[in-house]
Amino acid sequence: MTDINKNNIDNITENNKDEIKIEVKNLNFSYGDYHLLKDINLFFKKNSVCTILGPSGCGKSSFLRTLNRMNDYTEGSKLTGEVLLDGKNIYSKSVDVVELRRNVGMVFQSPNPFPKTIFENVAFGLKIHGIKNKQFIVERVEKCLKYAGLFDEVKDKLHKNAFSLSGGQQQRLCIARAIATNPSVLLMDEPTAYLDPAATATILDLIADFKKFYTIIIVSHNIQQAGRISDYSGFFLDGELIEFSKSGDFFTRPKDKRTENFITNRF
Amino acid sequence: MAETDNYKKTGDPNNYFPVNKSYIKRKKIYNRIAYGFAALAFILGAFPVFHIIYSAFIIGYKYLNWHFISTLPTGFPIGAKGGILNAIVGDLYLVVIASCLAVPLGIGSGLYLSLFGKQRANSIIRLLNELMIGIPSVVWGIMGFYIFSTNAGLGFHFGFSALAGGLTLGFIMTPIVTLLTEQAVHRIPASYIEGALALGATKWQATKSVIVKAAMGGIFTAILLGVLNIIGQTAPLLFTNYYNTGTPTGITGPGGAVGDIAMLIFIYIHEPSRILHYKAEAAVVVLLFFVFTLDIGMRLISWLTVKIFEMF
Ligand SMILES: Nc1ncnc2c1ncn2[C@@H]1O[C@H](COP(=O)(O)OP(=O)(O)O)[C@@H](O)[C@H]1O
Ligand SMILES: [Mg+2]
Repeated sequence: MTDINKNNIDNITENNKDEIKIEVKNLNFSYGDYHLLKDINLFFKKNSVCTILGPSGCGKSSFLRTLNRMNDYTEGSKLTGEVLLDGKNIYSKSVDVVELRRNVGMVFQSPNPFPKTIFENVAFGLKIHGIKNKQFIVERVEKCLKYAGLFDEVKDKLHKNAFSLSGGQQQRLCIARAIATNPSVLLMDEPTAYLDPAATATILDLIADFKKFYTIIIVSHNIQQAGRISDYSGFFLDGELIEFSKSGDFFTRPKDKRTENFITNRF
Repeated sequence: MAETDNYKKTGDPNNYFPVNKSYIKRKKIYNRIAYGFAALAFILGAFPVFHIIYSAFIIGYKYLNWHFISTLPTGFPIGAKGGILNAIVGDLYLVVIASCLAVPLGIGSGLYLSLFGKQRANSIIRLLNELMIGIPSVVWGIMGFYIFSTNAGLGFHFGFSALAGGLTLGFIMTPIVTLLTEQAVHRIPASYIEGALALGATKWQATKSVIVKAAMGGIFTAILLGVLNIIGQTAPLLFTNYYNTGTPTGITGPGGAVGDIAMLIFIYIHEPSRILHYKAEAAVVVLLFFVFTLDIGMRLISWLTVKIFEMF
């Protein structure tokens, strides 16, 4: 198990492997004939924040979407290798994709609330999993909006359309929506890309705080952000994982010349 | 020219900006010409509509009263006295029957095409669909005759009736609803469905609780345009329903045929009777009025539905 993974930076062995939330093993992914992700191997530790960096088009989003099987719907895409979530391959036949996605939440690049009320946006994830208890739903919605730091701003207009919120508020609503199903992993694809600095700072603080509940994997193009909030950083280039290490080492002592070029802004 | 001097003064004084004065003059003229053409095209396009409304109103105005839309035609030739209630009731029958077929079928296939199908199969279905829209309505009429109306051979033997006519119109309406539903769903940002799927929704859950609601306005428009299209049809009815001057006693078999405003206009215009010609024009106004009300009504319903759905 350990020998094949050159990115086993925490010396994971059979004895301490329960510290691991997700293990990616020999992952290859193609869109038709376009072989994008090549032999990705890495671990995501429980309750850590990991940032995936890389120039645009290098496959960061595609990689993130292999972790909750959102690529299932992309016609012609092919995947080999394994993604083990709590030791179980999410691509094995017995896995229930619905339960997988409940457990692995996702926040998208541009805020994408549903054209529904603020309340219904958060409640959606509960209702589609068959939860009917009104009391439970109301309490959970309130709790998630509080976690997402949005409750005070919206408590008087829970039944207004979500589009009446600002971009930053909409993104926090999407975060509240994602955590409503009580996932253990949160995938975030450049969640602050379209937000102003103040809204970005609010969301980064949230992420840092969320670590105690979730394993967070966040795609970013912003090197400063990554350094500030993440425990681990990975650098992708042309679909290859060039470097994966603790953020401290990643930014101060990069092992690969290409990583160094990237973090010193030479891309 | 003053403008040119301004260009020279702004920015880096060493970086001269060469101004092509004659080009600037020309581009303004082109802009006017384009504007003129657009306005002309609009006027030419809108003229027939206003002409139809105006002439129909001028010729038919003396019959435009409550009596005209609330009584059955009588007299000789039939219609010389009385109104066009038979045709109004008949249109109601036909639209309801056609919609019963075309709305579920059209919305269903539109949703299937935009959300579930595979690319290759979809492009074939889409092509077939567009072909169907291009089939002349008289061909649909003949097909409807063999499937629904004829009393010989295979088929349903519904006779010349509202059911036969309505279903035939439904076949004409289905590809229109399909195409427009697909387009309506296509306009919904992909991020809605992704957001729902990422929470663990099945495709059907995402469709029914996010996509259909978001596309509701467009789906109503699809139904509306389908209905408007069949309200104006006469050719298919010639072979499947023809015309009834009274009220139907059923929807199939003898007595199952209904009136229809478009058929009424077609028949009255062919009669050698001035009164019927006037009444045909009055019927045009009534038809246009219904189209107008339907349009406004559907918009209102669609707007209300969207408002209500936002709450769930
Ligand atoms: N659905 C798709 N079909 C084909 N190619 C795709 C698809 N999605 C992304 N790609 C291609 O894969 C490459 C990586 O895309 P992406 O994962 O979005 O990169 P990133 O998020 O790092 O900018 C790009 O070259 C893009 O054009
Ligand atoms: Mg991306």
